[in-house]
Amino acid sequence: MSRSEAKAMQPFTMLRISLGIVYFLFGFLKLFPDLSPAEMLAGETLSRVSGQLLSSRDALRVLGAAECAIGVSFLLGIRPKVVFAIFLGHMAGTILPLFVLPELMFKVAPFAPTMHGQYVIKNLIIAAAGWAVLSSMGNATGRMQPSTT
Amino acid sequence: MVDLSDKTTKAITIGAVALTVVGLGYGIKKAYDRDKVSETSQVVGDATAARPANGALTSPNLEGLELYPTITKGLRTPFDLWRYYGRGVSSFGSPELPMKFEQWVEFHRKQKPELMEDVREYMASRYDFHETPMEGYFMTGGKPIMAGPVARLPGDFESFEKLAECPPDKIRSDDLFPYKPLAHPLQSTAHMLFPRSWIAVHPEHERLDVDMDIPEAYLPEFPPPMFLTTHKELGDISGGREITFDNYYDIFDGLLTPEQMEGLKELLRPTPTTWFNQTSHRITLEPSDGVACFDCHVNGHTNGAVELGPDSRPNMARLRTDTPTMRGNYNLMQLSSKRSIRSMDHFAEVEEYFDGDPGMQQALGPRGAQRQITNRMADFNAILDYPPAPKLSPMMTLYSDKASEAELRGEELFHGKAKCATCHYGPAFVDDYMHDLQVERFYVGRPEGPIKTFPLRGIKDSPPYLHDGRAPTLHDAVEFFNLVLELHLTRSEKDDLVAYLMAL
Ligand code: HEC
Ligand code: HEC
Repeated sequence: MSRSEAKAMQPFTMLRISLGIVYFLFGFLKLFPDLSPAEMLAGETLSRVSGQLLSSRDALRVLGAAECAIGVSFLLGIRPKVVFAIFLGHMAGTILPLFVLPELMFKVAPFAPTMHGQYVIKNLIIAAAGWAVLSSMGNATGRMQPSTT
Repeated sequence: MVDLSDKTTKAITIGAVALTVVGLGYGIKKAYDRDKVSETSQVVGDATAARPANGALTSPNLEGLELYPTITKGLRTPFDLWRYYGRGVSSFGSPELPMKFEQWVEFHRKQKPELMEDVREYMASRYDFHETPMEGYFMTGGKPIMAGPVARLPGDFESFEKLAECPPDKIRSDDLFPYKPLAHPLQSTAHMLFPRSWIAVHPEHERLDVDMDIPEAYLPEFPPPMFLTTHKELGDISGGREITFDNYYDIFDGLLTPEQMEGLKELLRPTPTTWFNQTSHRITLEPSDGVACFDCHVNGHTNGAVELGPDSRPNMARLRTDTPTMRGNYNLMQLSSKRSIRSMDHFAEVEEYFDGDPGMQQALGPRGAQRQITNRMADFNAILDYPPAPKLSPMMTLYSDKASEAELRGEELFHGKAKCATCHYGPAFVDDYMHDLQVERFYVGRPEGPIKTFPLRGIKDSPPYLHDGRAPTLHDAVEFFNLVLELHLTRSEKDDLVAYLMAL
């Protein structure tokens, strides 16, 4: 890697580590009942999407574990295929509450979100950042490199 | 700059990541433990937090239990809430919705059909409501009485007798108990659920979020007859009518004392409740005048309306209760399933706070009934009599020339092998004690603790049975006790017992 290439990587590294921390932190919180402020929203959304097959507590366990895995993979700068797939699913999933629980998301739908709504909508940035970082990363065995596309 | 192919750098990276992960994990665990102890955390809005009770973790009773889900008003709750435990954010409720009223309506417009479909499916998984009437048996006013047991037998047991051969441990560990508790179908809001027959006449009590889950055939008759201790000669004083604010005066003028009359009027006066009122904290489309005592205790009896016992928090820990009759309350020393209320006027006083939350009354509309008023409500309650039982002698034994063979055999079992008379005796067939039947010996769940013995006089008129109505027929109630008291009754002995209960 040339010096200028490495320099170009720096913001990506920052982004990657901050994403790793946020994913891991928010994910791990979900494994403890009543600790995560997103518990009601995330659990309720997932249990509804599953047609009540998953209880909200079980849904949170699954979601928390997935977020931890994504977080660790960001931190390590690796991109196992499965984690990448989970990330894609997660990105799509984070906006689900807007459709599943609109009454809790909007003061006036669709342009005036509540605090919950903002919490969800700002995931757009996380999703985009994650996408950028992941495409800058090699797969599980590969080295970090700036995106060529 | 950084070259990850370099072995040391790689090791450092992994070390740093491991440190971060472990550090965060440890920090969160610490935060969790502190939060549990300090109990200061607040969950979004008015949510019911699920946090283990202090120190209770060492209690063997928590085995197999889960913490209550963290939810807010209106969100669905598990139908098997008895498997959950925990403490709430606060003992005190708030009269606010988690969203605007229009959104609340919209939210339930979408949720209710799905919820009710799941409720029906769940109830059908527990009971076979085949609505077969028992030949020749009717409630006092003529409604057919349903045959049972209707609880579904677990697995491949061909009979309740076979099931009763299993020891409690096995029934518990293999999840075989047919009489697990019933939760409110929407326990996050819970509150009063009226039967369809009532809603048909009182559409103002139609809820936008949830409906009654028990079929009409398994509920008391509507409107039920009313008998007065002071005017036995008049028989059913209601003449087949529902007694209302509009007609009570004509029906009772000249028959009651002025105090009883005033008491009756207050029992008929609607007052705002937690969810039936004029504010937006309601579950009716239009603002509501509220609910009167006789909207559930119709004609001094019951229409089978459901509510939660107001005696515990969080709301998810409250037991479902169906409305008991007021008939014969003059004989009871122990009122309500768990609160051990000792007098009818005291009851009318505490019933002031429908969900046991005086703090919300200011916002929702206080009733402000003074003690002299609640005393008069009790004055009227005190003359509500049982329906006639022509086969019962003054000593509460069956007249042998009037009773059938089966009823007489049932009477003997009641006092003998079936042990019922240990707790059900005297003029109301009740001992006025609370008993811990320890039903949790038979299923994995939070123990319900002591429950008052309910009287059996006039019992055929008030299905479904037990505090939460989990036994839809008398046959089911007998199966319940056969299992719980490990009586090993035969099929025909159970039928005899039911025949006897019908005669009380
Ligand atoms: C949901 C409709 C409902 C309304 C309205 C209602 N009750 Fe009740 N009532 C119940 C239920 C349910 C119970 C059982 C509570 C328990 O077991 O803790 C009960 C229990 C009672 C009991 C004790 C009966 C027993 O056998 O233990 C009395 C007395 C009573 N109510 C009086 C009143 C009075 C007085 C009012 C009006 C101020 C009233 N109720 C309004 C549903 C209702
Ligand atoms: C150890 C005391 C005890 C014995 C013995 C006992 N019961 Fe009960 N009974 C209770 C209690 C307590 C309740 C209320 C339980 C509840 O609601 O969860 C009750 C409730 C009932 C009910 C429901 C009443 C209602 O209004 O819903 C019926 C029916 C009944 N018992 C019949 C019987 C019969 C029949 C027997 C004998 C086979 C029997 N009981 C033996 C204590 C007892």
